Amino acid sequence: MSQTSTYTGFWKESPRSGILGWLLSTDHKRIGIMYLGCIVTMFLVAVCLGLAIRLELIAPGPTIMGPQTYNATFTVHGIIMIFLFIIPSIPAAFGNLIMPIQIGARDVSFPKLNLLSWYFYVIGAILALLAIFSGGGAPDTGWTFYVPFSTQTTTNVNLAAFAAFMLGFSSILTGINFVTTIHRLRAEGMGWGRLPLFVWTLYATAWIQVLATPMLGITLVLVILERTFGAGLFDAARGGDPILFQHLFWIYSHPAVYIMILPGMGVISEVIPTFARKPLFGYWAMALSSLAIAFAGSLVWAHHMYASGMSDFAVLVFSFLTFIVAIPSAIKIFNWISTLYKGSIQLAPPMLHSLAFIFNFAIGGLGGLALGAAAADIHLHDTTFVVGHFHYTMFGGTGFAFFAALHYWLPKFTGRMYQHKPALVAWALLFVGFNITYMSMQAVGIQGMPRRYYDYLPEFTTLNQVATFGSWILAVGLVMMFVNLFLGCRAGDPVGKNPWGAATLEWDIPSPPPMDNFGPKDPVVSKGPYDYKGVVADEY
Amino acid sequence: MNALANNPTAQAVDNVLIYIFGFSLILLLGITVVTVWLVIKYHRSKHPEPTSEVSHSILLETIWTLLPTLIVLTMFWYGWTNYTGLREVPEGALEVKATARMWSWTFEYPDGQRASKLYVPVGKPIKVQLISTDVLHSFFAPAFRIKRDTVPGMETYIWFEATEPGSYDIFCAEYCGVGHADMTTSIEALNEADFAAWQQPKATGGEARGLAVMNELGCVGCHSLDGSEGIAPSLFQLAGQKRNLASGGEITINAEYLKRAIRDPNAEVVAGYDPMMPAYDENTMNDADLQAVVDYLLGKVQKPVAPKIDARALLENNGCIGCHSNDGSESIAPTFKGLGSRQVTIIRDNEEKTIKVDAAYLRQALLNPNKELVKGFPAIMPSADYLSDEEIDALVQYLLQQ
Repeated sequence: MSQTSTYTGFWKESPRSGILGWLLSTDHKRIGIMYLGCIVTMFLVAVCLGLAIRLELIAPGPTIMGPQTYNATFTVHGIIMIFLFIIPSIPAAFGNLIMPIQIGARDVSFPKLNLLSWYFYVIGAILALLAIFSGGGAPDTGWTFYVPFSTQTTTNVNLAAFAAFMLGFSSILTGINFVTTIHRLRAEGMGWGRLPLFVWTLYATAWIQVLATPMLGITLVLVILERTFGAGLFDAARGGDPILFQHLFWIYSHPAVYIMILPGMGVISEVIPTFARKPLFGYWAMALSSLAIAFAGSLVWAHHMYASGMSDFAVLVFSFLTFIVAIPSAIKIFNWISTLYKGSIQLAPPMLHSLAFIFNFAIGGLGGLALGAAAADIHLHDTTFVVGHFHYTMFGGTGFAFFAALHYWLPKFTGRMYQHKPALVAWALLFVGFNITYMSMQAVGIQGMPRRYYDYLPEFTTLNQVATFGSWILAVGLVMMFVNLFLGCRAGDPVGKNPWGAATLEWDIPSPPPMDNFGPKDPVVSKGPYDYKGVVADEY
Repeated sequence: MNALANNPTAQAVDNVLIYIFGFSLILLLGITVVTVWLVIKYHRSKHPEPTSEVSHSILLETIWTLLPTLIVLTMFWYGWTNYTGLREVPEGALEVKATARMWSWTFEYPDGQRASKLYVPVGKPIKVQLISTDVLHSFFAPAFRIKRDTVPGMETYIWFEATEPGSYDIFCAEYCGVGHADMTTSIEALNEADFAAWQQPKATGGEARGLAVMNELGCVGCHSLDGSEGIAPSLFQLAGQKRNLASGGEITINAEYLKRAIRDPNAEVVAGYDPMMPAYDENTMNDADLQAVVDYLLGKVQKPVAPKIDARALLENNGCIGCHSNDGSESIAPTFKGLGSRQVTIIRDNEEKTIKVDAAYLRQALLNPNKELVKGFPAIMPSADYLSDEEIDALVQYLLQQ
């Protein structure tokens, strides 16, 4: 059975000891662990807010809170989930932990900048939390900050917008770091054709972070100027335009959903070959489709605006481009499934989360087709169908990919294995609870219930109650999963360097990895990332 | 109500929804069945090692790139052509102007008539011009599958045609603050004859002019008329009342204050409320209407409900006074005498609470009598939910004056 001894490797080796050894560390693994701790904490906070929203909607009329509190709750839920959880979740936490090792590097290109990014993240998080408790009350604009409402409300929008601005900087700096690292620090023999798919998706993501995030920064600064000095940029009475804000906002925020989903797709592309013991089907199609998604995804922002009053010609163009971006996503799904063909499939927890990802993401993607079609979107836009749809992609997709990454890579970084049986039960609860919750939301949206509604007509009651019921199953699953992972990290059975029999570089070094990753000799890569011949899984 | 068969805009949208959802369902089933089959067939218990090392197939990958491309392009085109049907208004449409504000709608007809509900004739296309006086809102009528944002400084439009008489929901679909979910009204589709009758100028004396103006302009979306407090102060029995102002000081409500509060609402806001009411200038409410509203609010005109519904007769005819006395004696139920100024101890969810009797409590006591029962009395009163809203209003107002 397990013994509780302290971790070895990078947990122990550090030029400084104690807390400063972490707060001043420029080691990518330590920064990754610090990101992971913050991100999981933020996730749990926002989950509680989400459960409160669902509880409020268990019946029409007021149940546990008033309308102003409700509006602040969904706003803060959105801001935390988007800016503090999903966007940094996989790239900042697992990207930092895994990517340098996977390409055979000892750290990222700019380790100090990497630490600075983490501090920007923490400052952004603190400001976002301060915004809830100070000023004129928690922001109530929704995470989209739409004008003119956001320029008129008396709540603490300035501070929340500034927090998102800081978080944007954190994201840009991480992007610059990753692009440079992937270009410059690949080990000998690690050609572009041997990059693990996870690295490819981080590469595509990093470009979007660098190119699109400044747009968000500018837009939020303009909102602050509008509120503070009455700049009039978005005020029609003074020659401005409220719809201009929506364009500026979505020019970042639509590519941002690909920042959120692409790294998740990267995780799935690592997990499925490992647990099928077969090379990923269509390596180049997978790599290039990630770049295609990043590129085409930057050109579809106004599909959030078909009903906004924008011209019909713009609707035509953006609807067309939206359907184009569906194609590389479809290719990815077909390739993952083909990888299973004639494999040797093991249903370990990371694999189950990955299969759930495919199912959930397929529903999210197919729902996106209905939203991309001009006529259908006119009915579905701004209903709870949209809320269900993006939870299918962001939670059912990225969230489940994040869970897969936790189950796949935590043993590597703690050197310990969690219990598999509770992990399977937690997975089943999450999968069932998730689908009950968000399928009901999609259904009630098709019936016509608008989103961000504190109160609703009696005919929407049943489906709302089912969704709330589903959210409780989901909550139980989450508690079980995190407790199991926590206990596993604390006192699970020790694992060797390669418990899953995977073929990428991180599984060639000890668990937990040493501070310099590869010992005195630089690694030389002589085979592809999914070449399982002769790779044996360690017993645990 | 959100269902209406065969109306042209709903049909255009439903065509696309059915096409895309149908295809999606087939694809999802295919993906799921194949995945589950592969996972079972090639499970490690049966296949300890992979039986193939195939890593790509140009033919297969080309097929599953081109096929989805073709499918999504048909979806795009079908979605677009049906969308144009939502945008092209048929000839001879009746034009109505809709004004959205936090948190109510006003509809204005070509003849100058205004209403807070959208009354339309069946079988005639309706074009609704949408404007907003404050922030973004969105006109959403699920039965017709139509939605369009109202944007300050810009005019947008939607059109629809009702094929059957009925009442169909209108929601605000663009988040607009604390009253967003309450910003609902309805499309009232009437037969040709009923619509013509509705269009006739209303006989004076039916509804007081002041009340009519307030309904048209959506005042009652935020201000209740029955004493229940919401996002804005109630307008119930205002005359001579004193209120604290947010800026400090106290004001006695009179005609001058009410006029200022309508023309320049945010100068003297009642304490506890946000300065968010839009100003009503002479273009939206002329001086005569302003006077009518103020007169109505100060009780200088007879309330329209009073002459129509005899609350006392209602109490007698429905057997209320069998248990509730008018003279202060109490046996099995509280007396009506002095009700409007009484403090009572009630029991709610097994907890005692002292409250002042107000309109909201009386309304609850009529509709759901045993939820907040006055201490010491048995839970035997039946609900009066078979009465109409107007009758309940009349009873509440009558009882408060006892």
